[in-house]
Amino acid sequence: MNAPLNAAPPVVTFPAEQRCLNVEAFSLAYGHKPALKALTLEVPRHRVTAFIGPSGCGKSSLLRAFNRLHDLNENAVHQGRIQLEGDDIHAPNLNVSELRRRVGMVFQSPNPFPMSIYENVAFGLRLERRLPKRQRDDIIEWALSAAALWDEVKDQLHRSAWQLSGGQQQRLVIARTLAVKPEVLLLDEPASALDPISTLKIEELIRNLKNELTLILVTHNMQQAARVSDYTAFLHSGELVEYGPTDQVFTNPQRPRTENYITGRVI
Amino acid sequence: MADASLAYRYPLAPFYDVVMTPPSPAPSSLRTLKDRIATGLITAAGIGVLLAILAIGVFLVWETLPLLTHFDTLSLEKLSPLAWGTLKAAIAALVLAVPVALGAAIFSALFMTDRLRARIKPSLELMEAVPGVVIGFVAGLVLAPWVERHLASTLALLLWLPLSAGLAGILWHLAPKALRRALSLESAGLWLLPWIAATAALVLWAAPILEQQWLGSDLATFLDRRFGIDYTTRNTLIVGLAMGFAIIPSVYSLAEDALYDIPKPLMEGAQALGASRWQALWKVALPMAGPGIFSAVMIGAGRAVGETMIVLMASSNAALMSASPFEGLRSFSAAIAIELPEAPPDSQTYHLLILAALVLFLFTFLVNTLAEVVRQRLRRRYQRLGGA
Amino acid sequence: MSRTSHRRRWPGDALWAWLCAGCVALSLFMLATLLTLLTVKGLGHFWPATLEELTLRSGEQMIGQPLREAPMPTGSATERLYFTGNRELTGADWRWVGVDEIVSAATPADVIRLERSPWGDFIGRLIALELDGERLTGDSAFDRISQLLALPPSERSGELVLLSPSGRGLVQPLSGVNTFVAPNALSIGEKTAIWGQGVWRFLSEGPRAANTGGGVWPAIFGTLLMVILMSVIVTPFGVLAAVYLNEIAHQNRLTRLVRIGVRNLAGVPSIVYGVFGLGVFVYGVGGSLDQWFFDDALPSPTFGTGGLLWASLTLALLTLPVVIVATEEGLARIPDAQREGAVALGATRLEMLTRIVLPMATPAMLTGVILAVARAAGEVAPLMLVGVAKLAPQMPLDAEFPYLHLERKFMHLGYHLFDSAFHGDDVEAAIPLVYATALLLVLIVLVLNLTAIFLRHYLRRQRGES
Repeated sequence: MNAPLNAAPPVVTFPAEQRCLNVEAFSLAYGHKPALKALTLEVPRHRVTAFIGPSGCGKSSLLRAFNRLHDLNENAVHQGRIQLEGDDIHAPNLNVSELRRRVGMVFQSPNPFPMSIYENVAFGLRLERRLPKRQRDDIIEWALSAAALWDEVKDQLHRSAWQLSGGQQQRLVIARTLAVKPEVLLLDEPASALDPISTLKIEELIRNLKNELTLILVTHNMQQAARVSDYTAFLHSGELVEYGPTDQVFTNPQRPRTENYITGRVI
Repeated sequence: MADASLAYRYPLAPFYDVVMTPPSPAPSSLRTLKDRIATGLITAAGIGVLLAILAIGVFLVWETLPLLTHFDTLSLEKLSPLAWGTLKAAIAALVLAVPVALGAAIFSALFMTDRLRARIKPSLELMEAVPGVVIGFVAGLVLAPWVERHLASTLALLLWLPLSAGLAGILWHLAPKALRRALSLESAGLWLLPWIAATAALVLWAAPILEQQWLGSDLATFLDRRFGIDYTTRNTLIVGLAMGFAIIPSVYSLAEDALYDIPKPLMEGAQALGASRWQALWKVALPMAGPGIFSAVMIGAGRAVGETMIVLMASSNAALMSASPFEGLRSFSAAIAIELPEAPPDSQTYHLLILAALVLFLFTFLVNTLAEVVRQRLRRRYQRLGGA
Repeated sequence: MSRTSHRRRWPGDALWAWLCAGCVALSLFMLATLLTLLTVKGLGHFWPATLEELTLRSGEQMIGQPLREAPMPTGSATERLYFTGNRELTGADWRWVGVDEIVSAATPADVIRLERSPWGDFIGRLIALELDGERLTGDSAFDRISQLLALPPSERSGELVLLSPSGRGLVQPLSGVNTFVAPNALSIGEKTAIWGQGVWRFLSEGPRAANTGGGVWPAIFGTLLMVILMSVIVTPFGVLAAVYLNEIAHQNRLTRLVRIGVRNLAGVPSIVYGVFGLGVFVYGVGGSLDQWFFDDALPSPTFGTGGLLWASLTLALLTLPVVIVATEEGLARIPDAQREGAVALGATRLEMLTRIVLPMATPAMLTGVILAVARAAGEVAPLMLVGVAKLAPQMPLDAEFPYLHLERKFMHLGYHLFDSAFHGDDVEAAIPLVYATALLLVLIVLVLNLTAIFLRHYLRRQRGES
């Protein structure tokens, strides 16, 4: 509360070859309601980055911006730049479908499609190309295995996905996203609707996946952020307050507001 | 079940690279193109449909414009009995239908168990599906001659039915406890059925005898001789009964929704403060659901004004200006159905009838819009209160 | 405790509850009465009724089917209406007989009733069957007649020698006979079989004798054809409009207004749509088509008069709001998470719509179309303006090129009902069939509505699981 809000926040930076996503002075507003105010931050490749902050701080908006999901809201206007591996994601000649395949997204509550488990995972694959069935089956088996679901569902691939438990559904959604081979995986509070055991499985999964891709995790759960992430960004009312290695943010925060939030005091 | 510390038995990275090849960009642009075209087509079709609907209003206004140049008293003379007939039919139907529909709505929303309500409500709503032409046939060819012969019984029935329900209530309160438990108030809507049938049969048996004793002849003849009141077989009473039957379900359904959706804590709160169920209804439910009930009645009025086949078949179709419920009428809709096919286009009758259609269109559209706006406001109010 | 306090407030308090309960019971009672009336009268007509032979006080003999009783206009006596048939002999099919005039009544087994083509029903006795110079009587005659009646009318030979109740003889060629029964001699089983045949005839044959006999097949067919054409028109447009409103249009004040407008169009009287159909489709479009393509047939109109196409189009417009509203409801129920899930995987809007959203909204769309069909099947008023006929000489679908004749008039169940009940030559004779038609119409509409209710129920349950 004593540090001026407009002072430059303590932010970690990365050398160009480690950057996966690069956000430059990015602002987003829904109608007249600003959601993000000139954010600047860099997301490292093959690491888990967590966005934390109180409800409505803009962490979900930022996450959805990486996938350009704000396009679905016709009132959304944005300013500034987001680059994925050096490509401006708002470039006019960029194919949004392709961007979204490179940046996969997993939502807060599991949203499997009303079809079989197999078809759910095959959904993204069927959009782009016709694969031989054999190859498609291989990818589906691989994706379900990568999401730690294969053993549980391998005998019932043609059952409706809606019959799975909540935790299984969420892992199915992760498998569905992995099947199209994204470079970045966005996770919007992926475990908030799940029981503790399912949550542990998802966290385990996140730690394992970071060898293959860049993960960004939005969470309300401070312990979760501390457990799985390498870097943590703290957002408040659409602004970046602090961004650094997770250890440092949690043990030695630079800003009092971060400390207040992390220790559970009112901010 | 697999344990939480799932180790990867499948080598992730190699397979990942072997299986997947980067997507080729060409199909993507084709997909985008397809998407653009489809969006355009859907937009065109959607706007086209909306324009077609708008065209109805435009057409009706356009075709009545010629009347402006030579609108004379003749047109007014022709239209006013029709307007009166329309109004009379609608009022008769509403007077007979609204009390029944609202009573039924109150009972099923506030007194019935949810299980029973889940069966009764769809059954009553099915009434709405009975085609007007069938109701009109039964009213015009079965009910009308019967009522003419049993006018006294009919009027007695209209009076007796509410009384008989009250009588059932008194008897119930006097009845032994075991019987009261067997026939609960919650399911009274069902077990009153045989009671109503039995008491109705009693009235039908008694009324002609009393009629002969007091009046010396049947009521229709008596009215004619004593007061010079004409009795037409197919008259306003018949139209009211038939159209009342037709609009009960829509009024019931909407009013019931409004009453049932009242946030439960409100009613429970009132009862916790010592109000009886009926006081809670008067003091809380009706003021809360008032707008919803109003819009239900409006929808019923809209339907009654525009209904064609029932009025056509159950009324004499004579364009009269009388207020007697025992005389016939002719409504706008019936006049259009009878006269428009015969009227050559561009004749004055043609334009006049289209003016009648325009009046019906505007009236129902306005009434329905009003009802819809009121209903949406009510829904928002419930959401606020329910959320609190 | 609450029970006693509840009782003390009686009666001002609880009386109203009883009145409300009475309203529910009354509504159910009316619905049940209507359905029972239609069922009993509609199906009862096909049951071979017992015929009574009466001796009147004047010594006159008559045979007839008792229908109903009514008090005499004066005095306390009652009279009874009999269906007597034999129109060519007595001048009328019906006869009111004072109950106290009847000296004796019997139900002899040898009384027969036949439905003939020129003169309606005959009721009396069979003397003999004359066939190729042979004269058969008794059971052999009955057997032979039932064999002959199985043949088509043009291939039948032979004549029936009949005796009327008043003692006059007459000769009736078998080719003009439609049915032949001796109802008093039949067992319950035989009567049921004849009843089944009667129902089947009603459903499968065309009307005869100014709608007083025969069946309603052309009307069923016409209704069906019109409803199918209408669905073909209304489904794509209704769905597209709903998809546009819900998925593509910007959700602003205008969209909300349009939505209210569409919803309210469902409440606009059907006759107004009929007026629009007549003015725009028949006179406007149809008139122009006639001038451009069918001017050799003018002044007799081809498309410039009511017909199948215009009726279907008018009803499609009428039911458009029903389909739009139902589909929109279905679309609105689909959680946005499903749409986002598809889009986040790289699906374009078209792919999202066709692979996720529309399949999920299918039951809702189906519900809408079924409700639209139910409404169209029962709707008569607009059809009176845009294209039904009392008796269509040609079916709108036949073996003649182009097979489907969109310009032809067609028969419709609802209008057929209205017409035979109110504009027939002998309404009294037509009424039993009108009951049957009404029952059929109500059954069709109720079954369609029930289907829609179950579909909607299924839809809600499916959502509940998600």
